[in-house]
Amino acid sequence: MTKKRKRYPDLNQKLERPWCYYCERDFDDLKILISHQKAKHFKCERCGRRLNTAGGLSVHMNQVHKENLTHVENAIPGRQNLDIEIFGMEGVPSEIMEQHTNVVTEKHFSEEAERQRLSGNPARGGMGGEGGVASKRARVHETLEEIDERAKKWMTDRKNGVARPVKAEAKPTTPAQTAPTFPPAAQPGFPPAGLPGQPPFPPGQFAPPGALPSRPGFTPPQPNSFPPVHGLPQQIDELIASSTAATGEQSAPEKEKKAKKGKEIKLVFFDEHISPEEKMARLPRFAVQV
Amino acid sequence: MSSQFELAQNPTDPISAVKFATNTPTRLLVSSWDRHVYLYDTHAEPGGKLLQKFEHRAPVLDVCFGRDDNEAFTCGLDWEVRRIDLSTGAQTVLSTHTAGVRNILYSKPHNLLISAAWDSTLHLHDLSQPGQFSTVTLPSKPFSLSASPTKLVVAMASRALNIYELQALSNAAKQGEEHVTVEPWQRRESSMKYMTRAVACMPNDAGYASSSIEGRVAVEWFDPSEESQSRKYAFKCHRQTVDGQDVVYPVHALAFHPVHGSFASGGGDGVVALWDGVAKRRIRQYQRFPASVQTIDFSGDGRFVAVGVSPGFEDAVDDVPEGAIKVFIRELTDTEAQGKKVKG
Repeated sequence: MTKKRKRYPDLNQKLERPWCYYCERDFDDLKILISHQKAKHFKCERCGRRLNTAGGLSVHMNQVHKENLTHVENAIPGRQNLDIEIFGMEGVPSEIMEQHTNVVTEKHFSEEAERQRLSGNPARGGMGGEGGVASKRARVHETLEEIDERAKKWMTDRKNGVARPVKAEAKPTTPAQTAPTFPPAAQPGFPPAGLPGQPPFPPGQFAPPGALPSRPGFTPPQPNSFPPVHGLPQQIDELIASSTAATGEQSAPEKEKKAKKGKEIKLVFFDEHISPEEKMARLPRFAVQV
Repeated sequence: MSSQFELAQNPTDPISAVKFATNTPTRLLVSSWDRHVYLYDTHAEPGGKLLQKFEHRAPVLDVCFGRDDNEAFTCGLDWEVRRIDLSTGAQTVLSTHTAGVRNILYSKPHNLLISAAWDSTLHLHDLSQPGQFSTVTLPSKPFSLSASPTKLVVAMASRALNIYELQALSNAAKQGEEHVTVEPWQRRESSMKYMTRAVACMPNDAGYASSSIEGRVAVEWFDPSEESQSRKYAFKCHRQTVDGQDVVYPVHALAFHPVHGSFASGGGDGVVALWDGVAKRRIRQYQRFPASVQTIDFSGDGRFVAVGVSPGFEDAVDDVPEGAIKVFIRELTDTEAQGKKVKG
């Protein structure tokens, strides 16, 4: 029995699939690919014998049927060359290989994005998975002195009532405005993150805003910071608006697609009653010679 | 392709028809808009040998072989139906329509020659009574003609389609009257929305295939019973997607394989495809030809297929690119046109 295939395989699984150089089709298994190539591209049209390679077929045609093979059957244009020796995935030129990888990758992400758009679900593996990589904060290496310095700065800042410097960087607001949002007095209310025996910053856990000095160059993700109180309902409004907009968008292109089905067709010849021959017959050069 | 070649000497204007002789599978007639009919021996020398050329007064729209391989009939824009003795080159005018004559067909079992013209008439020539013909009026302008052993299918404008019994036509022709009325055995409307382009009957007398200018082929059966009629179907083909737009080509040519009963379709996209009409499968599709495929014919033994390729049928353009008008001959292997065998 074959393994049950995932409905939405991830990129690596897609990239691992063997594919046919001649027609860009992909397969579950290398064996299937090889039998596909033998049946579709390396089969002798005279006697039906399945050869292993294009070169093999060429020699066979030459010796058995005394004919010259000029190109590989059923191949997409530009891949009909007999000189490239292909067997399964072997012999595929590296630039073609790269091109295929790019196509598959691009397709994967566009499909994923489309699925996300339709379902409204967050990216798969948003926490700690593949998709989570992007949100993972970069590791910052600090020497003991640097940490010490930062701690001291924080201490003085706190004494002076300065809001978290990084926060201020991200949201340039006047201290008067920030003060009510993050009252320094409220900070002791947060339990200190550093429990005895534990590092002050347990990996993977965001520090409560304002509880500890943040590392340089690090901005805590917005959803984890406390948004301004007046901003909350606004955000919800925006959220609702964006979600309805999304559903609206979703139905709109569908309608368009349906319209397109009837529309986006170009007839090479169209007439209700006059056949192409009658039209040609009207040309002066086809007039009856007397 | 090793088993495919093009004729060395080709007409200079678009090809209207290619027809193989009934008994000699290498004898081929080609009619052309350059006012000539060409007779070839396709395998006498590489690239085929042009045996003879027959000049006409106007572009020739169709040609067919007659009672033997030395008799041919032609029709064209000079409104005339002609007989050509291929050995002497002598031409005789058999009848004159009042408009261009689009199709000509000879039914061997009934010894009957039928021509169809844009004046919406058929001329019936009973070849056993030389010098006589009868006119049958059609409801519409005919575009394509095809005969099975017992039936004649006439595809016309306004999506109309008449099926006549050849016996009834033959009887009418024998009366020797100038105008005869023959009731069609069946009147049908095309199952496709657009103008019918070509029609071809199954060699086993069971039904026919028709094609339209909108990349579609329909397969239908003669048998009027509901059971047989429910088997009819149509499918899309000869289309290409360019920049998200579906470019739809007319299906100019249809021809049934005399042995296997599969059929070939040829389209404005220059593609020839072989179809298994019963299993509803495509058997194969050939490498694109350099221009629009206008006409296809299988040789009597089914060993060869001739494909007439010429540009200009789509938009009636005046200037024809040099060298694109060609007749291709392909030798088929025993199983090439055979559908998949039903297992078990």
